[in-house]
Amino acid sequence: MLQTETKPKHYQKVIRADRWARRLITFGGYGIIASIVAILLFLAYQSLPLAKNAAIKTLFTFPASQGPSKALLTGIDPFQEIFYILDEAGHVQFYQTAGTKPLSEAQLPLSGNEKILAAAKGSLSSELFAAGTDSGRIITAEVRFQLDYSESGRAVIPSLSVKEIWKIPAAGKAASSNAASSDTLPDHVEKLAFSQNEDGSRFYAWVDHQGALWVRSYDAEEEVDYLHPLSQYLGESSVTALTISNHGENLVAAAANGIMRWFDLKDLEKAALRDEWSISNGPASALSYLLGDQAVAIGTAAGAVEVWFPVRTPSNLMKFRQIHSFRSHSAAVAQIYHSSRNRDFLTIDAEGAAQLHYSTTGKTEVQFPRPEFSIAAGAFAPKSDGILLVDAQKRFTLFRLDNPHPESTVKALFGKVWYEGYPGPEFVWQSTGGSDEFESKLSLIPLIFGTLKGTLYALLFSVPIALLAAIYVSQFAPFRLSRIVKPTVEIMAALPSVVIGFLAGLYFSPLFEQYLMSTFVFLILLPLIFLAGVAAWRAVPESYRMKIRPGFEVLFIIPVILIALQASASLGHPVENFLFRGNFQQWLYTTWGITYETRNSFVVGFALGFAVIPIIFTVSEDALSNVPKSLTSASLALGASRWQTVRRVVIPAASGGIFAAIMLGLGRAVGETMIVLMATGNTPIIDFNPFNGFRAMSACIAVEIPEAPVGGTLYRVLFLTALLLFVFTFVLNTLSSLVGERLRKKYARF
Amino acid sequence: MEMLQKDMEKMAETAHPEIPVEFSALAGERIVIETTELDFYYSAESHALKKVNIRIPYRKVTAFIGPSGCGKSTLLRCFNRMNDLIPGSFLEGKVLIEGEDIYKNGIRLEELRKKVGMVFQKSNPFPMSVWENVAFGPRVNGITNKSELEEMVESSLKQADLWKEVKDRLQASALDLSGGQQQRLCIARTLANKPDIILMDEPASALDPISTGKIEETINELKEEYTIVIVTHNMQQAGRISDYTAFMMLGEMVEFDTTKKIFTNPREKMTEDYITGRFG
Repeated sequence: MLQTETKPKHYQKVIRADRWARRLITFGGYGIIASIVAILLFLAYQSLPLAKNAAIKTLFTFPASQGPSKALLTGIDPFQEIFYILDEAGHVQFYQTAGTKPLSEAQLPLSGNEKILAAAKGSLSSELFAAGTDSGRIITAEVRFQLDYSESGRAVIPSLSVKEIWKIPAAGKAASSNAASSDTLPDHVEKLAFSQNEDGSRFYAWVDHQGALWVRSYDAEEEVDYLHPLSQYLGESSVTALTISNHGENLVAAAANGIMRWFDLKDLEKAALRDEWSISNGPASALSYLLGDQAVAIGTAAGAVEVWFPVRTPSNLMKFRQIHSFRSHSAAVAQIYHSSRNRDFLTIDAEGAAQLHYSTTGKTEVQFPRPEFSIAAGAFAPKSDGILLVDAQKRFTLFRLDNPHPESTVKALFGKVWYEGYPGPEFVWQSTGGSDEFESKLSLIPLIFGTLKGTLYALLFSVPIALLAAIYVSQFAPFRLSRIVKPTVEIMAALPSVVIGFLAGLYFSPLFEQYLMSTFVFLILLPLIFLAGVAAWRAVPESYRMKIRPGFEVLFIIPVILIALQASASLGHPVENFLFRGNFQQWLYTTWGITYETRNSFVVGFALGFAVIPIIFTVSEDALSNVPKSLTSASLALGASRWQTVRRVVIPAASGGIFAAIMLGLGRAVGETMIVLMATGNTPIIDFNPFNGFRAMSACIAVEIPEAPVGGTLYRVLFLTALLLFVFTFVLNTLSSLVGERLRKKYARF
Repeated sequence: MEMLQKDMEKMAETAHPEIPVEFSALAGERIVIETTELDFYYSAESHALKKVNIRIPYRKVTAFIGPSGCGKSTLLRCFNRMNDLIPGSFLEGKVLIEGEDIYKNGIRLEELRKKVGMVFQKSNPFPMSVWENVAFGPRVNGITNKSELEEMVESSLKQADLWKEVKDRLQASALDLSGGQQQRLCIARTLANKPDIILMDEPASALDPISTGKIEETINELKEEYTIVIVTHNMQQAGRISDYTAFMMLGEMVEFDTTKKIFTNPREKMTEDYITGRFG
């Protein structure tokens, strides 16, 4: 303490400045670490919801029993404020989810004791349904939820409107004659499937009391009805379940003997059998087409839940195949409902147990709490954010469904997934499609592959050039030359990658395509001519050779390169004519099945390599130059030639730095965005073919983030991609430091 | 200081090239290295050696002494053309080894340096094993036969008095040896090339007295078979190990004679002043 008092003022000033400088530097250092950690945490925070499992929460249970009639159908408005149930007596009761009493009631026009036997919804966008009665009538009606802002705030006002009432054809009319004669019961609808497409055309499929299967296609444009009896396809076995696809083009019917049949209804004037197959776990007891109209969820009498969809066979036929099987029910599956937003579907068994499944991933996401009474009907909320279950006592339970990213399981992101329409499980990246029913295919493997492919080609091109250049400049080049080369290469690093990408994509790739053959000839010819040049050089008497100042031998390479260039330019066409029948690209395609894209991996490898060369060059040149002169002197003094010295002493001693240089270059190539974006076709395919493009992770983020809805699955998957990239480069850099450090310890203790 | 300045000027006059340096002491010796009017420039402005004439006798130890920067290391490096590595440097005059001008066109540096080995001031083993260090020279000169190499490594290490200490760890990194051992390893590495001449550039300056003693012992044994030229800062060392001594000053050769003569009765006043420690 005494000392500080006696210190001169100036000295105290120095100490204070020192302290501040130390604080500032410490703050800067920790700041960098903190910001990196913050980026990492932010990326993780954004992508973490992908890993969240589906969760349900019981929002509301309404215990009142409203009359003895059995509930058949239920539905809810998009705000989950009002829901309705249709019972077998034709009552449509509206309830408020927040209330305890029925809000209002409407009635389908039924006569006398007429009862509804079957009801089915027929639209993805509205609460349109069809109800088949025991007197053979099918009533099509729609529940509307109208928004009213007039009074205090928003109110949802429900209403029922009947669209169409018609009678099914009398039994036997179109069926076999002996069946008709024995018929005494009134016609009625046993099972019913219904769908209305966006043109307003309606498709009904039903089974009458005789077990006959019918389809009625109503053409809304022409206002014509077509009736198709389909019993002739059925054989002896009765129909146990029916489903019509959401756009009415397909019908799948299950028979009691386990045989499934797929009918094509696309042509309204006829219904054609397209496929027939059998399922093994007992006859299907419930069926539902899922969103997308490809996959059919099948619930069997034994409780099995499966998803099947048609797959193209080698003979170009579409055949249904089982794709997934889900967790089984302990009783026969009675009902299946599908979401109108994604590939979720709900299975309900005869004992009242309900499960939620996601078709694409093959995952059973939720098992619902078992109610006291069996469930009579269920419905997805229109936004798929809630599920309404109605039990036999007309008690309702509304669940909030929190399942924002059902399609992004680890398996879907990193494994092969069998998507609808594909011949088998594949890695597919296709984030957006033409319709709302499109299913995002978000496999990261093609992107990771693309990044690695681009990096590989870039490094194949750049590592040899950069390292050889670094060796030359640091060990052989005369000072006057290296003084020019080093800053020039460093300026190369300052070139904006968008410029390189632009040049590569728009100028270089067409040029490369034009001189494709010449390029290959050049690659083969250059080493040959070079070797010839070396041989010629050796033939020159030593006394002449010794006159060249060391380091300037490089000038002799220039004519060699020029000769190789000229020769390959003139040889390109003859070679193409001679070896590849005049068209290399055609030859590639016909012989190897390889397609040639103008913006291909060759071009990217070149352009990306151009961006990577300065980094590898600069860092490895430094490492090579920093090898102590005492080592090179020792080697030279022992009679080693310059090349022997470089190979045996300098390169091993600099290996740590060279490794670090390559790793840094690798990191740069992995993270590079603009070049891979502009110079490739950005096709997310997995193919090593250098004449194809690829889609790199970085480019994918750049391309897709503007069109990804905030908080959506794509948005989060892109953040996950960013996180992966971050981890990738982080690991690469750490690895390069660690290995570099080890090599330095091994070779460079001076 | 003033005195010193004067002395140096005077010396520069007396050692003028026109007055030939006396080599009578070498009567009867076979001359291995001979320079005539050797000038060396690090650059056009930096004239490091001025008209140096020197003769190095066969299988004797010749020491170069002189104050820092006097050009003794530069001269040494002219004998195996290590100065060639310095960009911008050039040389005038002649260096003859065994009568052959080593600066003429057509000289293969690799062969020259194999014949004229060099041990540096600071030990500089390669970051390899002991064995690989010693075998380096023979290997780069084209010997691949393993048993031949083994033999060379062993005999070289024995000659450098290192064999007993490292024979059990030939595969250990050379960098794990002590400083003195590293320097003797460098000597062994040079010996493995079977040179005729060994140039030593202050080989013991970075070592403790015990290690220095060992190096000196080694040198004493080696002079039976090799011509040794050693640059040293250490008067006593020069006195102990060398047969002949050359005293250099400001790039010029001041005096050359037998070591005994230089240390007891030098011809030049400058030499005496330096030897007795009046400057340097």
